[in-house]
Amino acid sequence: MARTARFSARLDVVIFAACVILSLIAMVLPANLREPVASALRRSLVAPLIRLQRGAEQWRSAYLSSERVELRRDTLALAAARVPTLEIENDRLRKLLGLGSKVQWGFIPAEALQGRGRAEDFTVTLSAGSNAGVKERSLVVAPEGLVGLVQTVDPTMSLAILFAHPDFRVSAMSADGSAFGIVQPHVTTTSTGNEPAFLRSERYLLEMRGVPFRATMKPGAVVYSSGLGGIYPKGIPVGVVLAEIKTPESWARTYLLRPSVNPAELTSVMILTPERAAAGLINVWADVGAVDSATKSIVAAGDSLARQSASKEAAARRASIDSAARLLADSLTRDTTGRAAERVLPTDSATAARIRADSAAAARIRRVRRDSIAAARVRDSLRRDTTPGVRP
Amino acid sequence: MNWGATVRTILLCAILILLHYTLRPLLAWRASADFLIIALLLASVRVRPGVAAILGFIIGLASDSLALSAFGAGALAMTLIGFAWSRLKAVFFADHVLLNGFFLFLGKWAYEIVMNLVERRTHGAELLMQILVWSSLSAAVTAVAGVVALMLLRPVLETRGT
Repeated sequence: MARTARFSARLDVVIFAACVILSLIAMVLPANLREPVASALRRSLVAPLIRLQRGAEQWRSAYLSSERVELRRDTLALAAARVPTLEIENDRLRKLLGLGSKVQWGFIPAEALQGRGRAEDFTVTLSAGSNAGVKERSLVVAPEGLVGLVQTVDPTMSLAILFAHPDFRVSAMSADGSAFGIVQPHVTTTSTGNEPAFLRSERYLLEMRGVPFRATMKPGAVVYSSGLGGIYPKGIPVGVVLAEIKTPESWARTYLLRPSVNPAELTSVMILTPERAAAGLINVWADVGAVDSATKSIVAAGDSLARQSASKEAAARRASIDSAARLLADSLTRDTTGRAAERVLPTDSATAARIRADSAAAARIRRVRRDSIAAARVRDSLRRDTTPGVRP
Repeated sequence: MNWGATVRTILLCAILILLHYTLRPLLAWRASADFLIIALLLASVRVRPGVAAILGFIIGLASDSLALSAFGAGALAMTLIGFAWSRLKAVFFADHVLLNGFFLFLGKWAYEIVMNLVERRTHGAELLMQILVWSSLSAAVTAVAGVVALMLLRPVLETRGT
């Protein structure tokens, strides 16, 4: 038993030594001898395992490619989702560039950094400060119109109050200069549920107070700063008239305005230096008013042209009806008066021939009618004669 | 070891070898588990040292057939590991799961060291980094995978008596 165990142990060692020697031989084999051995192994023992490995790698590459496709799709979807935002931003920057080219000098471009707190609804942080030349009480405008006024200036940033601030006041006027008033924030009281929908849904509304009673403005009319008061120069769009609202002030009208600038969408603004504001901004937003008025003029002109052509057409139709009626009356008169009427007929031969034909036809009709009446009388007399028994 | 245990061991080794050629390419980790080493451990602790040496030699030579630059190195390493594990089984109580994990770590690390030294693909600091970082990491992953496999297969497996 012990001898068998010793033999087994020696056999294990011998086998182990043989395996090690064979491994070492395999390591030192020249390439021309090594390759046939490896190839034989690959084609026999390892072949099914290699096929499995190939399949697994194909699965992995398919998974990776599907992941790449999904990633690409997500990237495209993300890019597509960003397009509207970029378009809006692009449009806004273009407008700002257009405003800059019109203002020409004395402005400082800035980013409007909006706070998310409720207390910051009335103010906006601007990314330009005194280092960039911003001064207190400088005017803040956007391509759409008036934004507010710089209140506090730091070296690298500044704070501006929006038109929604309770202290905000600006002297304003209608586009044609017929109505003047003071624009201030519209402070809503407790909701009664009876007010119009826009009063319940929209924030940042403005009021134009103190408009003379004789001056009326229609909804949609643009209101500009009037330049009275010295802070806000003339010609900056402030808002658009929504409706007239009733106030206790019976001596003047009050209009509700929708601001030209939506503070929630405010991203890029311009801070006008006091010198630039003092120089006036009449021609900067004038195009807006000009386009507005031009549009209205075109519409009005179109309306008047249409009215004019319609009235002309109606007049022509009325004249033709009148002349036809007159001709018919003349022909009837001629028919009854015999030859005398022919002297009244117009010299136009075609018309005269037509009228003659008409009168001949009328005469025929009258003759036929007379004959039929006479025949009816004869029938009546004959019926009375042939049916005496029926007589009552 | 009776015939039933022999068949179970062969089947489990076959499954582990299949996993080596299917799961490893799917995962494609830089430091991945070596299921051939785990299969060799499972078999070595159940057979005589000479048989374990032959198993290691065959498995190593098969894997070497795909890596011609180190042809024979894998066979040498596997032979050493298989024989050593089978001999150590007589010394240690190899049914302990953590001890098996430690043996797996040592075996895989030794295999990686032998392969790195024989292949001579890296030198100096890079070789040191490969042996100390990536080889040890791969050995650790193999040990973890082996321990998990042993815990799952414990009811099925049956080790030979010491």
